[in-house]
Amino acid sequence: MAIDPVGLEIIWSRLTGILDEGAAQFVRTSFSPLVRDSNDFAIVVTDASGRALGQSSLSIPSFIGTLPASVKAFLDRVDSRTLTPDALYVSNDPWFGTGHIHDATLIAPIFMEGALQGFAAIAHHLPDIGGRIRGVGNRDIFEEGLQIPLTRLHGDGRSNDELIGMIERNVRTPAQTMGDIWAGASVCNFLRRRLAEFLPDYGLTLTEIADHLIERSASALAGKIDEIPDGEYYHETFHDGFEHPIRVACRVVVSGSRLAIDLTGSSPQQPFAVNVVPAYAKAYLAFALKAVLDPDLPNNEGLFLPLSVDAPRGCIFNPDYPAATGARAMMGHMLVPAFMCALARALPHNVVAEGAGVSVILLSGETEGRPYNATNFVTGGQGASAAADGMDAICFPSNLSNSSVEIIERQAPVRVHHRRLRKGSGGRGAHRGGDGIEFELECLDEAPVYCSLIMTRAKIAPLGLMGGEAGKCAEIWLNNRAVDFSDQFRLMRGDVLTILTAGGGGYGQPGRAS
Amino acid sequence: MTGRTDMRAKEIAIDIGGTFTDGIALDRASGRLVVAKVPTSRHNPREGFLACLEELLRGSGFQSFSTVVHGTTLVTNTLIERNGSPVALIVSKGTEDALAIGREFRYDLYDLHQRRPEPLVGRDAIVGIPSRLDKHGESVSEITEGELEALGETVARLGIDTVAVCLLHASVNPRHERKVRDYLLSRFPDLRVSLSSDVSRAVREYERMSTVAANAYVVRRVEDYLDLLDGSLRDRGLNGHFRIMTSSGGFTSLDAAKGRPIELLESGPAGGVLGAIATATDLGISRILAFDMGGTTAKACVAVDGRAPLTELFEVDRVQRFKKGSGLPVMVSAIDLVEIGAGGGSIARANARGSFQVGPESAGAAPGPACYGKGGIEPTVTDADLALGYLDPDDFLGGSFRLDRAAAQAALAGLGERLGLDTVRAAVGIVALVNENMAGAARQHIAENGLDPRSLTLVATGGAGPVHAVEVAATVGIERVVVGTSPGAGSCLGFLGAGGRTERLRPSDRRLDELDWRELGDWIKKAESEAAEELVKGGLRRKDVTTAIEANMRYAGQGDGLWVALDKEMLARRDVAAMARAFEAHYASIFGIVIPNTRVEVATWRLAAHGPGARVTARSPSPAPEGGLSAEPGTRDIYSPARDAFVSAAVWRRDALSPGLRLTGPLIVTERETSTVVARDAEVEVAPDGALIVTLG
Repeated sequence: MAIDPVGLEIIWSRLTGILDEGAAQFVRTSFSPLVRDSNDFAIVVTDASGRALGQSSLSIPSFIGTLPASVKAFLDRVDSRTLTPDALYVSNDPWFGTGHIHDATLIAPIFMEGALQGFAAIAHHLPDIGGRIRGVGNRDIFEEGLQIPLTRLHGDGRSNDELIGMIERNVRTPAQTMGDIWAGASVCNFLRRRLAEFLPDYGLTLTEIADHLIERSASALAGKIDEIPDGEYYHETFHDGFEHPIRVACRVVVSGSRLAIDLTGSSPQQPFAVNVVPAYAKAYLAFALKAVLDPDLPNNEGLFLPLSVDAPRGCIFNPDYPAATGARAMMGHMLVPAFMCALARALPHNVVAEGAGVSVILLSGETEGRPYNATNFVTGGQGASAAADGMDAICFPSNLSNSSVEIIERQAPVRVHHRRLRKGSGGRGAHRGGDGIEFELECLDEAPVYCSLIMTRAKIAPLGLMGGEAGKCAEIWLNNRAVDFSDQFRLMRGDVLTILTAGGGGYGQPGRAS
Repeated sequence: MTGRTDMRAKEIAIDIGGTFTDGIALDRASGRLVVAKVPTSRHNPREGFLACLEELLRGSGFQSFSTVVHGTTLVTNTLIERNGSPVALIVSKGTEDALAIGREFRYDLYDLHQRRPEPLVGRDAIVGIPSRLDKHGESVSEITEGELEALGETVARLGIDTVAVCLLHASVNPRHERKVRDYLLSRFPDLRVSLSSDVSRAVREYERMSTVAANAYVVRRVEDYLDLLDGSLRDRGLNGHFRIMTSSGGFTSLDAAKGRPIELLESGPAGGVLGAIATATDLGISRILAFDMGGTTAKACVAVDGRAPLTELFEVDRVQRFKKGSGLPVMVSAIDLVEIGAGGGSIARANARGSFQVGPESAGAAPGPACYGKGGIEPTVTDADLALGYLDPDDFLGGSFRLDRAAAQAALAGLGERLGLDTVRAAVGIVALVNENMAGAARQHIAENGLDPRSLTLVATGGAGPVHAVEVAATVGIERVVVGTSPGAGSCLGFLGAGGRTERLRPSDRRLDELDWRELGDWIKKAESEAAEELVKGGLRRKDVTTAIEANMRYAGQGDGLWVALDKEMLARRDVAAMARAFEAHYASIFGIVIPNTRVEVATWRLAAHGPGARVTARSPSPAPEGGLSAEPGTRDIYSPARDAFVSAAVWRRDALSPGLRLTGPLIVTERETSTVVARDAEVEVAPDGALIVTLG
């Protein structure tokens, strides 16, 4: 059935509106500071075969790619003929879902007049999932917390109370963790209701709408890929690693309107929580592709069609169970600069140099008689581009906000001495890299504060592009001494933790206009 | 909001907008209303004010007035044009870069080259002081005399005579901030000092710092402006009460406005919502969606029983006007309206979906829509409205200039060609899309406030509002539309109807079972008397001022709360169970669920003081007899979306319609500033005061 351009635009605008309304509702009802301060969640609607039609605008890049993959995996495992209209499934399996067990993925079928139309799905970072605190030091998934394989949470008019009891028994904050799952469930129901109101106005199925939207996005993206000269482009970059640096090898093969990325040559999976499941790797590469080629392209399945990503089994980007993945962002985010630097030769004006990435400071313990578990993000300098200096202290490629000093001090027994720009840390260049941050806190309590750092760029600096210089490396000090942060450590009263994040790489030779 | 009215009152309202300064004068005894409009004097807004006032005095025959209510865009313009005064910012040591760092997020996920809004204060004028409070507001290191003296030296060296202060945890305890202020004022009496704890009591230092910096940045301009204006009025022997409109939809006194000018930021839009409320109240309608559509943006806001929802955080001077997060955050109470880039000038352009979108780019006043014939070549909403028969090319803005139909057709044809649509289909599409955008934003706003669209009446204002209102209402599911008697003078009508309003906030962050009732009681008493005092200075009688307590409540662990009105008896009884029930009822009405096994906490307390507003009854003189007509209608073919065809519509002049008249659509009612378009079979009734009431079938 044909849809005219106006009809298509109205459908698109309504669909986005419904998803954003669901997102606003979720932010307001969530118990997780990561959801409300950092938008660490996403909502998508797919058709009956799991193809994404659209997603909430306020989302971080990873879930955009993982949610439709989850729906497809769901369809492989669950016979859709057995689904009831009120069914709701949950999982935090990293390979099924978002790449670490700290996110719940909820999937709800959408029925209309007895027929399966599609799915609403939401992924969100949970307040707590038990286990040790999130950190790079966890060596396998069993240390990371409670695993929930794909399970029905609700259906046939009743909830799965055994599962709920099981979750509540295994997490530190049962009311909040379940509160967030119920908040997600209520968003799924909201989406069902709204879609049921809107679809009949157009007499179209979600599959028919998907055909149109996907085809448009895919062909627009294919057209842009076609403009890149055919050939092989390669870049490798290194993460600090632990005993040894970890290699990120990114080979991009452009042929006509298709773009294939091969991650072969990257390091093998690690006995640390830095392993990246394939869906997460592909999500960040799809993000980078869109940002470089066509930032305004609508997010749907079409973005993935001209793109293929390969990584051999056992590679850090395709790890085997029971690999630990809690700090997957540390490696996954590096795929974006790796991809951009590979394409820099072909598209020098579209890319940015390597940047600092985002670091995470997790603090947990008990104070004033209550447990706490606080997550704080600290960013660094962004890489420079042909057009401009890199931004100072900005989250890239993810998009997480910092917490206010006043909030940090309320969440954990610490005092923040300073959070300021690390002047001169960005690499020099025709355009200089952005500056990182200097952040320092002091432990105030007699009881220990357990600290886990997910830090990047402490040994290997973000490189410049086109003759631009590297940014400064990150530094971490405990009472002015180097600290081993490959596992969690304790802060005692009076201990001072100092973190300097990396500056971004410069672009072009210093002193020259690019 | 409506209270007793002093029948001897002679009242004036003046609103300075971007293009025009509007005013109205109302004689309560006779109910006579006089309207004036003069161009805004961009560089000296006082001139426009005084010219408007002269015109009002002349037209009304007033020798003096009892009150003048004033709203101005001065604060917004000063922030956008960056022509405020240099500010020295005093902060806790370690947070000197907070304005430069912000929240570290990107407002556009995919734009690799975005830039941040430029902070109002540069790093060289930011001074850190070592004294420090902890999260409970207790002193970790006290401010010393030496520290204050050093600070004094620094301020003297900077040579800046306007200071903002934002210290960590000052929202819990403002004592250190006040010490800094008292010291600086004792040493430099001519300094102006703004404290973060005076402009906002919210937690989060970056947003509070941004707010107090903005306040300080505009404080001298606003003070100079208001003092000169006040002087000019007194020179003319005009000694009535001078009241200033704020963003939260109430007026405050001159002194309060001078100290906290940042509260004036959104007074115009707030007045627009109040104007819609006044129009509805006159008709006995209590649940509305105020809908305003101008040249560049459309705004929508719900109001129930005369009250619109408030927000405590919004943005000013965005790098990208419609991108959330790209502006400077300001944390003061403001009417929580939704604004989108949809207006008469919004441009339609092809996009990557193989379709096209309307807005947010606008052709503005220059070059304007293609049909203005001023060089615009891209099709806009106004061009589409013209092509579909909604506008009369010879009678636009009272015939002050002719619209060029051929130019509109050419622009529409250009877009249509790229998409395989003829001119008419392109125009139909533009109108459908812009209506959809506005309906979508309105629908979301209505849902966020827990309301059912079918219970609301849409009140349309602005030049393009009545043209699009009926179809927008139909798309949202609203069944009644009202167009008041002066849809262009909405803000001023709102100003006159406005009551006094001010508030005091206090952070709490305590569970209901942990509240410190004695401390709360003391605060309420103090806040009540302060807030009432402020309104008394604005000319209200103490006994007319009422106060109400609201709590921002949430489940322990959530970030965002909901404002819940609590009656004072409930508090006196310390009835936490009733407070929890009030919260859960409100929560369920908005989110459809309650969370089991979780405790409820109060994030923030609010004491709001209100003074009565006055009902504004505007009567439009009509030459026609009751229920009759003074002229026969014309006819024109207009496009009806409901029938997907052009239909013949009667075209009435507004001043030819008299109260009590009932008509049936399709029809158009024209007046100088706008046209009311009813492109479907709806009933139209002329209310006793001249308002049009459209009931959708």
